[in-house]
Amino acid sequence: MKHVIVIGGGVAGMQCASELLRQNIAVTIVEKQQCIGGKIRNWHKLFPSFTPADEVLAAMQQKLTTHNNLTIRTGCEATCITPQKVTLSSGEELRCDATVIATGFTLFDATVKEEYGYGIYDNVITSAELEQMFNEKNVHLKQGGEPKRIAILHCVGSRDEKVCQRHCSKVCCVTGVKQAIELKKMFPTADVFNFYMDMRMFGPGYEEMYREAQTSHNIHFVRGRISEVSPTFNNRLQIKAEDTLTGRPLKMGVDMLVLLVGMKANAHNTTLAKDCNLTLQPSGFMQPKDSFLGNVASNVEGVFYAGAITAPKNIGESINEGTAAARGVVEWLEKR
Amino acid sequence: MTFFTKFCIPFIVGATVMFTVLAIKYIAWLRNLPKSDWRLIAKNFFSLRTVTALWEVVSESLLHRRIFKVNPALGYMHMSLAFGWFLLIAVGWAETVAYLGMRWVPLQGHVFFKYFAALNNISAHNPTFDFVMDLLLLFVLSGVGMAWLKRVRSRILGMRKTTKHVAFDRIALSALWFVFPMRFIAESVTAALYGGGGFLTSGMGAILNKIASNDVLHHIYEPAWWLYSLALGVFFVAMPFSRYMHIFTEIPLIFLRHYQLRPEAMEKSYDNFEVEACSRCGICIDPCQLQSQLGINDVQSVYFLRDRRYNMLQQKIANNCLMCGRCEQICPVGINLNTLRLNSRSSMRNIPHEGRYNYLRDIDKSSGEGKVGYFAGCMTLLTPNTMSSMHNIFQAAGEDVWWADRDGGVCCGRPLMLSGEMDSAQKMIDYNKALFTKHQIKSLVTSCPICLKVFREQYNINDIEVLHHSEYILRLIQQGRLKVGHTKDATFTYHDPCELGRGCGIYDEPRAVIKAVGELLEPAHTGKNAFCCGSSVANTAISDAQQLSIAVKVAAELEDTGAQTIVTACPLCKKAISRGAQRKVVDLSEIVAQSIK
Repeated sequence: MKHVIVIGGGVAGMQCASELLRQNIAVTIVEKQQCIGGKIRNWHKLFPSFTPADEVLAAMQQKLTTHNNLTIRTGCEATCITPQKVTLSSGEELRCDATVIATGFTLFDATVKEEYGYGIYDNVITSAELEQMFNEKNVHLKQGGEPKRIAILHCVGSRDEKVCQRHCSKVCCVTGVKQAIELKKMFPTADVFNFYMDMRMFGPGYEEMYREAQTSHNIHFVRGRISEVSPTFNNRLQIKAEDTLTGRPLKMGVDMLVLLVGMKANAHNTTLAKDCNLTLQPSGFMQPKDSFLGNVASNVEGVFYAGAITAPKNIGESINEGTAAARGVVEWLEKR
Repeated sequence: MTFFTKFCIPFIVGATVMFTVLAIKYIAWLRNLPKSDWRLIAKNFFSLRTVTALWEVVSESLLHRRIFKVNPALGYMHMSLAFGWFLLIAVGWAETVAYLGMRWVPLQGHVFFKYFAALNNISAHNPTFDFVMDLLLLFVLSGVGMAWLKRVRSRILGMRKTTKHVAFDRIALSALWFVFPMRFIAESVTAALYGGGGFLTSGMGAILNKIASNDVLHHIYEPAWWLYSLALGVFFVAMPFSRYMHIFTEIPLIFLRHYQLRPEAMEKSYDNFEVEACSRCGICIDPCQLQSQLGINDVQSVYFLRDRRYNMLQQKIANNCLMCGRCEQICPVGINLNTLRLNSRSSMRNIPHEGRYNYLRDIDKSSGEGKVGYFAGCMTLLTPNTMSSMHNIFQAAGEDVWWADRDGGVCCGRPLMLSGEMDSAQKMIDYNKALFTKHQIKSLVTSCPICLKVFREQYNINDIEVLHHSEYILRLIQQGRLKVGHTKDATFTYHDPCELGRGCGIYDEPRAVIKAVGELLEPAHTGKNAFCCGSSVANTAISDAQQLSIAVKVAAELEDTGAQTIVTACPLCKKAISRGAQRKVVDLSEIVAQSIK
């Protein structure tokens, strides 16, 4: 029986593993965290349908639990990856017939943008933390109480040369719209502002949701990045920005600032690329073999990619890539 | 006695052209000096300044002491050429007096004295003069030898890169290289045929006598003097149009500078003296981080001044400069390189946008009573850890503070100035000045050296004391108003911000503050030689990736000290270095706020 190692147990990795198992191939998932699932475990509802994230996660996990040919190694990282062998951080070596890298991305560290005051002022939170609060059904201000005015800032650590993150993280725009609607539903009297550079509503239903946010939920959209945040005497946050549509600077007091942190390439990618002869893009994400005919293949035969390892992607796209990578692995194994 | 022969013509023509062009240039530049500059000259002419200027002319134009300090080998090279040549002329004049008594001798009579002495049958030789003149010639020739060597292998003379020259420079340079060797040959042939000469020329003459017949020597006698005269003539004609213009221009420059003339925010006639006093020695190239780190080879001060002088300056050259001042620091002529580059940018970019600043009218929502104004600065607003640290420091010291740029102040104006938009900058300056006056503050503290420099130099707020937060914090500590604890195990290294160090001369205060709270470890390049962080607002040409590449190098050197924390005193430097550093980068105020007892 052939044996494939999937590195990363997020949505892409899980989908890839279940497809391979269906083809009667033994699979080992190597997961850094203590359990598989990846970042979706932290999300509340998924755009644009507001599907609960745990429903999707449960369905994917369901497909994996029924298999005997699956081994899950949690709490360990892969340091060297070749088609025939994966070395773990413990030094242990696992033999295999092909490998799939599905290690995803890292959330941008918002403290790097010191001007937004994350980690300095109360009530400056990241979009990931807001999801957590949604999950706990406990969105509140640090000092207690409900926010009356909320600003959501797009492109934190995306499209920002100053922090060497030139790429667009793709999903933050729609996440901002989704979270704004959720906040507005939670606090109907609150004002919710989105500060954006461009609204990139690329997926089905996204544009409709964006429109609905404006027409049905009265959510405000201001084209302009926030330049700086400072505290006010009554423990609120004062934000400075430029409304680039009117060409005027603006100041606004808000109770809560949500930073839509972008997708950063894993720091690990650089060493992985060097040690395993894989090609890296300037953005730090891995370079697929071809943008059209080989977007789940790597430049090394027998090593495949799935999900956000090669670029920011949404959950649906990552799941599809899991399937595509599994298909690629099967074809490659048959050829040999 | 005759003092003319045909070969003198190239020399006479060359000298006439040179002196005429020099006169035209200097008269035009002086005539166009603004009235204020003339008043300064009139005020300072009959003062000790003239004497000190004279001394500087000797020590710089002749002895080149400043180059000696930077690079002794280069110093010797420049001194041997300048001082050696000067002495050759001076002693040569004394020599003619010694032979002919005090009488008028035309210029070529002095220059080609050895030839005319033979021609006029002056047979009694003066061995002292012969010896001294030969010694001086040897002195100059040694300098020429080094100049040749520098062209071939500049590293031997301690220069990684030398200047790439334009055509006029190449012509003048080649002519100059041949002047003294030709003089040596001409005088040696003369000594061989007619005797005389010191150890050098008569020695060479003896050798010539051995290897060539009298007939041959007679044949090369006139051509040798012709070539010497030609080399001089070509050099003199090319001189006012080439880098060698500096030879004479540095002299009026030194006097004018001693009379307190300076380049200003807008170009003016005085700038010509500074621009043409550049000898294109190229000493400014090596310290430029754009060169050493990014391999940009055509923007350094030497090229900027050259392009400006020949009216071929392009914005992309003028704008591509960090204005870190590392070249100005080392320039042996002491040219105000940053100011000249700024006023060039101003000439090219200063297009005021009238409507753009209308918003200034209703922006003032300031309140507060404090007599100490704290102007954080735009970049400090982007590093709020510094702001909250300053807040804690003010509170601990019991200072009553008015936060100048929280609800009223606008940008200090320096970023606009640095990009050449002087008129727009002035709008900011006027606005902030009115605000400071309205609040009647007695002192103004800022955390941003960029703001500090413009407050001190451009604001004319003489009744308000302007302090950098490092100076202010040190004062609080010294007055006992701020008690800080010293941690022996805490090790810090300090990065000198360009605008604070070379820009405002503040080196010691931040160090004293650091030493009050922990141990200070100095990096390899520090103080006046400190590197620029690379993210200077003065440079709008390089990319973020290039800025990062400079920051990584700077951070690596700071981390090499082994210090746990990198400290700086500029919000821009903090942001820049943190991008390239592995270790923690903080502002001075942060380590103070953490140590408050």
